[in-house]
Amino acid sequence: MENVSNSLGFGAAAADPKAAVMNQVRQEAAMTNARQLIEKVNEHCFDKCVPKPGSSLSSGETTCFTQCMEKYMAAWNVVSRQYIGRIQQENGKSVQDNFWTSDLQDDVEVL
Amino acid sequence: MDSPTTSLDQNLDLSKLSPKDKQELQQFIVNESQKARIQQSVHSLTDVCWKKCVTGSIRSGKLDKSEETCAANCVDRFLDANFTVIKHLEAMRNQ
Repeated sequence: MENVSNSLGFGAAAADPKAAVMNQVRQEAAMTNARQLIEKVNEHCFDKCVPKPGSSLSSGETTCFTQCMEKYMAAWNVVSRQYIGRIQQENGKSVQDNFWTSDLQDDVEVL
Repeated sequence: MDSPTTSLDQNLDLSKLSPKDKQELQQFIVNESQKARIQQSVHSLTDVCWKKCVTGSIRSGKLDKSEETCAANCVDRFLDANFTVIKHLEAMRNQ
């Protein structure tokens, strides 16, 4: 967390305030997105992988978690593609700009 | 984490921006807000469709073909349902 705020280039802010604001906004958006994803992954995968919590997380449960997480992200990407395709179709516009069709992976990398 | 707004305020003087930069920044914010809204919807749709489509135990990190089809259908049907509700509300209002 600390690193994220520090690496936003506040040092360069005086030189290029516009870029600094844009960076800050991008980082915050990515953080919000990632936080949301983690919350959902935990919720759903805990449900799937730990039906009866024992005294520790077993290796089987851990494996289930990593697979479940990958699977959830795959589902996220499928939903995202389908949803964006549909709204573009509903709006009757062509793919004017691909700026928000990026994969989830890109945002997760900021962590 | 300290408040981003405060640190921005302390470090930036936006009044020095040129009109062109200001406009670009405004457009950027509009785009980012749209992106954030869409991502929010994708999160809640994934939540709904995961519950509907991934019903078995987790056996691999990949989506089955059937789960993938289900998820895509789930999004489309959810939106159909949404439009149906809106249309019906509209019809009720016009009665």
